[in-house]
This record gives sequence, C-alpha cells and structure tokens, in this order.
Amino acid sequence: MNDDTPANSTENLIVLLTGHQERLFRYIYSLVPSEADAKDILQETSLALFRKFDQYDATRPFLPWAYRFAYLEVQKHREKSGRSPLLFSEDIIDLLAIERERHEPRLEERLHHLDHCLGKLGPADRDLLTSRYACGESAEEMMARFSLSRRTLFRNLKMLRQRLYDCVSQQFKAEGFA
Amino acid sequence: MNLESLIHARLDGEISAEDLVRLEEILREDWQARRLYLELADLHARLLHARLLHEPGVASGRFATPGESGTRSGGRWRVAAFTAAGIAAVIAAVIAFVFLSVSLTQPGGGKDEAVSAGVAMLSQTISAEFAGVERRSGDTLAPGTIHLSGGLAQIEFYSGATVVIEGEAELEIVSPWEARCHRGRVRVQVPPAAKGFLLHAPGLKLEDLGTEFALNVDVSGVGSEVHVFDGEVIVHREGGGSQSLTGGMSLGSDGEKTVDPAAFLSLSELDGLAAARGVRRLEAWRAWSQEARRDERLIAYYDFHHQTAAGRDRFVGNVAEPRIQSRTGGAVGARWTDGRWPGKAALEFKRPGDRLRMTIDGTYRDITFACWVKVDSVDKKYNSLLLTDGYENGEPHWQIYEDGSLMFSLVYRPPGISGKGGKFNQMYFSQPVLTAESLGRWHHLAVSYEGTSGEVAQYFDGKVVGRAVSPLHQAGRSIHFGPCEIGNWGLPTESHQFPIRNLNGAIDEFAIYRTALSAAEIRAMFEAGRVE
Repeated sequence: MNDDTPANSTENLIVLLTGHQERLFRYIYSLVPSEADAKDILQETSLALFRKFDQYDATRPFLPWAYRFAYLEVQKHREKSGRSPLLFSEDIIDLLAIERERHEPRLEERLHHLDHCLGKLGPADRDLLTSRYACGESAEEMMARFSLSRRTLFRNLKMLRQRLYDCVSQQFKAEGFA
Repeated sequence: MNLESLIHARLDGEISAEDLVRLEEILREDWQARRLYLELADLHARLLHARLLHEPGVASGRFATPGESGTRSGGRWRVAAFTAAGIAAVIAAVIAFVFLSVSLTQPGGGKDEAVSAGVAMLSQTISAEFAGVERRSGDTLAPGTIHLSGGLAQIEFYSGATVVIEGEAELEIVSPWEARCHRGRVRVQVPPAAKGFLLHAPGLKLEDLGTEFALNVDVSGVGSEVHVFDGEVIVHREGGGSQSLTGGMSLGSDGEKTVDPAAFLSLSELDGLAAARGVRRLEAWRAWSQEARRDERLIAYYDFHHQTAAGRDRFVGNVAEPRIQSRTGGAVGARWTDGRWPGKAALEFKRPGDRLRMTIDGTYRDITFACWVKVDSVDKKYNSLLLTDGYENGEPHWQIYEDGSLMFSLVYRPPGISGKGGKFNQMYFSQPVLTAESLGRWHHLAVSYEGTSGEVAQYFDGKVVGRAVSPLHQAGRSIHFGPCEIGNWGLPTESHQFPIRNLNGAIDEFAIYRTALSAAEIRAMFEAGRVE
C-alpha cells in the first residue's frame, strides 16, 4: 500500500497520473467520443482516483485500477446526460469497454507507428491536421481558412485519418512479419 | 454510408441521429467493427491529445481557467464546488497534463495475430524432427526452408503437388508451384492440376509434367539423382541442355546413374505408417486414461466411448472411479464420429439442438475443466464448451468467444439483485487461440479456477494462454453446477428463448476436477493425449 502521509500519497498519485493520463483520456474518449465531455470525465476520474487513492494497491498495475473509475464516471455521465442523441447507448459502451480492455495491447502498439506515418504527410495535409488537432480550430474557422465547404472539409479530414490508419496498419503488419 | 464513414462522422461529431443508430447496430453485432472503431478512435484521441502536449499555452494554465469554453474542442472545466481534496486532485491533473509531454508512448505487450502467408501445408508427419522449430501436421507453411533432421514429412503444396521428404533433408518452399531441395530424399507426386511444378536441385531443374518421381540430393549438397516412376519430367541441366525422362528412367546430375526406386517411400506406405502410429497413440492414451480415471479429485470424466449395445447409443458414461451413475451424460442430437485416432469415438456438435446433458451435484471451492476438442468454426458470438443451464450465483460458464479466445465466467450477484448482472460478471479471456491455423484440428483446452486466490489459468495444448484474477473476486464463495451441458447452452422455457450457442465441432474427452490442477499436470494431460 501507499506511504501513510497524505503529501506522499498525493505525490504518488501525481506521478501515476502523469504517466497514464493520456491513456486514460483515450480510454474515456473511445466510450464517449466527444472531446469536451471526455475531458470533463477525465477530470472527474482524477478526482475519484484522488479520493480513493488510499485503496490503491501499489503492487498491482495502476491502469486497470484507474480504468474502473473512468468506467464508472462514464456511466455517471451517461446517466446525467439522459437521452442525449449523441451518446452511445449503454450496452454499446459496455461492449466497447470490454473489447477495448482486450484489445489494448494492440492499440498501444499501433500508436508506436503513428509518428512515422505523420512524417510521411505532405505540407497541405500537415496544415489541415495542425489546424484541426494542434490548434483546435473550429470547423467554421477551418472552412474560412481553407476555403472549403463543410462537407469537403470533413471529407478531407476523414480521408487523411483513414490514410494514417492504413499506414499504421501496414507498419504494424510489417513489424509482425519481421 | 459504409462503416468507416459512419465512424469518422462519429469522431468528427458530424453524425446524424439515424446514422448513429446504424453505427450502433453494426457495433453491437460485429466485434471486428468494434475493433475498427476503437483503433480509429484511439488514433483520433492521440492526435487530439497531442495538442494538449505540444501547445505552448498549456503550461500557462489555460486548462485550469474556470468556465472557459472557447473553441470547439476547448474544455468546460468546472471548479465551482471543490473540496480541499478536489482541488488537490485538480492540481494533480493539471501538473499531469504538463508533464505528459515527456512520455508519449508506452510499451505494449500485445502480440500480432496469426496471418496466413501459407503456400503449402504439412499434411502428415511420422516421427518427424524439425531442426529449430516445433511443427505438427496440419501446420500451414509459408515460403521458407523446412529442415528435417529425422523421420518423415509429407507436404501438400497449394498447387496440388505432394512432396514426401525423408531423413536428413532440407527443402526450401518457394511458392505453391516451386521448391528447392538442398539435400536429402524427396518423392514428388504431381496431379494434372499441378502440371508445371518446378523442383530445383543442385545441378538440375526438374519440370514436372504430371507424374511421380523421386529425387536424391547427397549430403554434401552437390550431386543429384532423379528417378521417374510414372509420367514425364523435363530435366534441365545446369549449363544448358534439357532432356525428357519418362517412367522407369533415371538420371544423375553428372551423367547417367542408376537410382534404386525401392529406396523411396511411396505415398501409400506413408499412409500405412500413419495408421500404425495412430494405433500406438490410441493404445498409449487408453493406458493413461485407465489410470487417470482413478484420480479421486475427479468430479466427472467422460471418455466418449461409444456404447453400441441396444438402447445405449445416447449414453455417455461418467467413468471416473468410483462410478457415480447420476453424472452419466445424455447426448441430444449430437452424432458419433471419429475422434483423435481411428477407433476413438467423439461426439459431433453441428446443429443448434446438439448437446450433451448432465447433472452434477455438490459444491466446490476449486475446479478444473479439461477437454479435447476439434473446433471446425468459431461462427457464433459465444460457442459453448460447458455451461450450466442458467447463470445463477456460483455457476461456471466455459465458452469460446467470437475472436477465438477461451472465455471462462462466473457470476455472484449481491442479495436482492437478480436477472442480468453485467456488473457482477467475472470474466476471464485467454489470448485468441482458435484462429484459422488451429481450426479443424484436435486441441487440448483447459481452465482452472482456484477459489481462494481467485486465479483463473487457461491452457491451450498444455501451454498457459491466460492467467488472471477478476477485480470482483472474493474468497470463500463456492461453485456448483446442477443441470448443465457440454457443447450448447440452456433449455428454452415457455417465456424465455436461449440464443444459439452450439459448438461447431467435436469433443472426444472431457474431465471435470474438484481442484485447480497445476500447469505441469495440464501439460502432462496434453502430452498423454496428443494426436501424434
């Protein structure tokens, strides 16, 4: 278990969160694919982890323990938001959570190849990704800046992501054969 | 819209309510669609999060600003009513965001799935030893070198050509149409469909025009001799010149030579050897089984002996000693078929009604299931091995999940809660093991559950393929069965229909123990019953 003093345990939690927050975010996002909501839920999860940190058994891996809290926060969020048409149904969230846990090692391995694939993009594609992801521009801002219709903008983003996805899959496969 | 488009629209927040319903329908039905979604969502989330990492504004506290909600993807951070503890956590979270940029990638521990690059199949082996690797008949072979250090191996190329290699031999598989013998003795049979099959040997290239011939490449890998039993082979010599050889003719790489055709094993002799081996393996297993059934830790042991006496066809005896008649199994639908060896019976589960019913009394702390099964196809979401009729507290379910992993589950609902209790379901999955490579062949499956520690270990062919403790585990809760069945799940009642979960395959041995067998014991069980 953790050291007794609260200061120590806060420090421990910070260290653990530092190392795992990005993965927690991706976990939550896969269940609640809305950027703002996922961030809210991550925040609530951090709070819950802090409150229950005295129950954490340091001899066991942190992430599975943290995922349970994230999952509960996702459920709370689902209940709070009622029948919002943009959320996944409860059974889908459950199915995805189960599948994700099982598939996680592979998801992590795939992401190792993402940097390589980003490096292969041309300047125009890079610009589009930068505005969408690095600068977090809204659709309206991007439509104005690139003189694109909404439809074309999202079609281009989709094609770009799909290319990255295909590239990652190829790299992943190539590594599997090595 | 296709699945990819639906997922991208979902991630961009541009999906209509109707399309979301369609996406959910697909995700609900198809685990591969769920994986695709998860992979795309993960990529998208990584890109999103990269912003939090690389944007200089992060460290200036932008994310700690209450109520900010500027751009589309800006956060709405509520810090209104935090307790002292809450504030500390927010601080922790903010620091975490800042620090995150250090370690983006975490090493994962996953393995690639089997990809079939096969061009041939190892169709039969007799006492074969392969240098460096473990192979068994039924293995798919990709291009590469097969190094046999003893015994016999029969390789069927996807073109239709069959090659038997013998003793010390090195055969390089190039494609379905081409192979290279570096040394050793091979016998080749080429049906009309595989006409044109090429076999390279030192100093020679043999083009087969539909025939049967033998090739001997001496140990030094320099000289080759060929003998044609039947049909025609075009022999191309190194340095030019080719020659047609027909039935009964021989040729060496350095001129005329006589090969002794009798020195090469024929395909029918190989079949005979395989049958004799089957008889020996069956006898060895029988001897082991006679001993194993005396193990007092057995709850029940079904050896799937087909009782041919009148009226006994549907009975599957529990042969664990001392015999407990009430645990005798009753086959429903399932037909008798061949098991691991000629002379060994098995029950085949094919149709939705096929099953083997039992009633098992008693309560247990620990259990082990072990069986030999040939799975023809994993074609349902859940494919039954052994399940209790319902799914009440303490009842075990053992199945094959749709991705080919073994799935063991137990449920303990708190008092007062009934019905579907996903939250109380202890589920254990192994790695996917029943994949394209392993279907249609006999395999040993086992799972052990230790009630005190809660550890579940799963085995495939004697090797551990999963070991875990559920976070829901509590020591001291017992296991029981009651009415249960092998190869299917549940009896429909008037008000309730069961989903179709019948196994598509055959089972020829099933043992249930009242203890968690050790990995070494499971391994020994596999060795005693292995097919070859």
